[in-house]
Amino acid sequence: MSLKGVKPVARVLAREVAVTALLLLGVSVVVFCILYLAPGDPFSLLLEGQMSAGAPGQDVREAMGAPNAWHARYLSWLAGMLRGNFGASIRTGLPVLEEISRVGLNTLLLTLGSMAVTLLVAVPIALYAAVRGVNRVSFPLTMAAYVVSSLPVFWFGYVVIYLFLHTFGLFPLAFGGSQGTNRLYLLLPIVVLGLGNGTLSEVIRHLREEMGRVLSEDYVRTARAKGASVWKHAFKEGFLIPVTEIVASKIPFILGGAVIVEQVFNWPGMGRMAWQAAQDRDFPVIMGIAVLAAVFVRAGNLLQRFVYIAVNPGASRETIGRRVA
Amino acid sequence: MRKRYVEAPGRTDEASGLRFFRKSEAVDLFFVGYGLLIVVLVAVSYAAGVFRLLPHDPEAVNLDLMLAPPGTAGHLLGTDFMGRDLLARLILGIQAYFLPGLLAIAVATVPGLALGVLAGYGAGRADRVITWFSNLVDSFPRLVLILLVIAAFKPDIYFIMVVVGLTNVPATVSLVKVKIRFLREKNFIEAAEGLGLPRRTIVLKHILWHHCRASLIIRATLGMGEAILMETSLSYLGFGVQEPTPSWGNMVQSGANYFLQGNFWPSTVPALAILLAILGFHLLGDGLNNLLERKAVY
Repeated sequence: MSLKGVKPVARVLAREVAVTALLLLGVSVVVFCILYLAPGDPFSLLLEGQMSAGAPGQDVREAMGAPNAWHARYLSWLAGMLRGNFGASIRTGLPVLEEISRVGLNTLLLTLGSMAVTLLVAVPIALYAAVRGVNRVSFPLTMAAYVVSSLPVFWFGYVVIYLFLHTFGLFPLAFGGSQGTNRLYLLLPIVVLGLGNGTLSEVIRHLREEMGRVLSEDYVRTARAKGASVWKHAFKEGFLIPVTEIVASKIPFILGGAVIVEQVFNWPGMGRMAWQAAQDRDFPVIMGIAVLAAVFVRAGNLLQRFVYIAVNPGASRETIGRRVA
Repeated sequence: MRKRYVEAPGRTDEASGLRFFRKSEAVDLFFVGYGLLIVVLVAVSYAAGVFRLLPHDPEAVNLDLMLAPPGTAGHLLGTDFMGRDLLARLILGIQAYFLPGLLAIAVATVPGLALGVLAGYGAGRADRVITWFSNLVDSFPRLVLILLVIAAFKPDIYFIMVVVGLTNVPATVSLVKVKIRFLREKNFIEAAEGLGLPRRTIVLKHILWHHCRASLIIRATLGMGEAILMETSLSYLGFGVQEPTPSWGNMVQSGANYFLQGNFWPSTVPALAILLAILGFHLLGDGLNNLLERKAVY
């Protein structure tokens, strides 16, 4: 490719979308391989107790129209998934996509809400520390963030439940119970996951370092000397890019934390479903959840790339694989 | 010698009362000191557990003394819902993650090094393929991937920790790759190449040994923190170590049933142990990073 100068932005965006599609294809291959290598395929699980003994016969497979060769199996699974058919849950017999979409919104609410909580706490601390350096306000706050980030979120959840039970007399153990879900209760898991997902200190550190670096750049000093708004000049490179970078790279952690928080709070979401599916060896459900979670992660990354390219249209291919520490 | 990339504004503010902490070396040394204390404590406790030098039998049930608070005579940290000594269970619980954690670190480091060298030194194509694989691994939320593996294989903790290690490979790869990219331009590497040293020597000695050692140790300490988090989370979810064998995660889980009744200690003691241990490994990693890599803000 002999493209001279800066690539057209549209071209870079198309490339990003193509890379994402390729990665999702890779995700589906990995998920399929794990299932394929698993001892006892889902067929024997499905037929458990219905067949006398041994592996399900070839004839049963053929009668149910299930292909046998691995590539045929993969392709039929992939084709089904692309049409929105993730198969049926072994435990309930219901279509997986229907099951997941029933609870997916709860998980989306939980993860997006907790991301917002993390940012609401982290951004002021980070900006303050970047501007003022180490002092008697920023140091204890940063230390507190370190401690909170190391809290085991499952125990933290119990502490919060106990506090609410005793100080506010709320008994937050039912989701959508007879008298409707308590609004306050909806907030609890979101706040707990937002603080306790273990990313707080990293978000603060990343934003503080980037903002601190940008504030000492020449162009910000020039802006300050001209009397122009420093914030306006530092915003894009010192705030927007680091925030989107760190949020995109921490989505997997927040999704992982959601599995535990949903367990603690009886929050009916994808995490609890994944937990249940792992216990029951409900392959179609856990595969569907893994694929959708990866889609969520990749979508976050794609969004981050879009922001990056919008801010810096000269983004070259060097930066495409950039990682946040 | 110590040079900053960033001189944070306000750092030399004389009005601040934190004179000690304003020197970031002091903070870093404090971090490293605390982290080393935790490492030694964990290692010694692990050894004590291996040689069965425990204050009590960790599985001895004592129904006369259930849910005793810390400080009860003979039970320094109290007892759990079956009257089992919490301190003894805490010490034995280290076995649930110690060796598996080391395995996870090894799995993350060895392939990570090899792929990092390939990506750093190799042509653009090798780098692109390796970056693609890194992004692929990073696409999975770790816990979801592990639940998938659990559903498929019903694995033991060592198998799970191999998966945890694999998910950490991309971090090692990018660390080594960036280092190599940076060092390749340096005079001493060019000089070594000019002198005709074999590439193997340059990579192994001049780059990896002299310049990546510190970063890899830092990654390893962070990896241990992650391994503790992973093991305790899985044991909490019921997929890790099973009762009556203690693990910090299943201790929190079994104590949680009594938490809402006001019996905090059976789950709080292991939770604090998790907190202090993870904090120790994180601070050790961050402190070492700041001291050795010289890019501190603190």
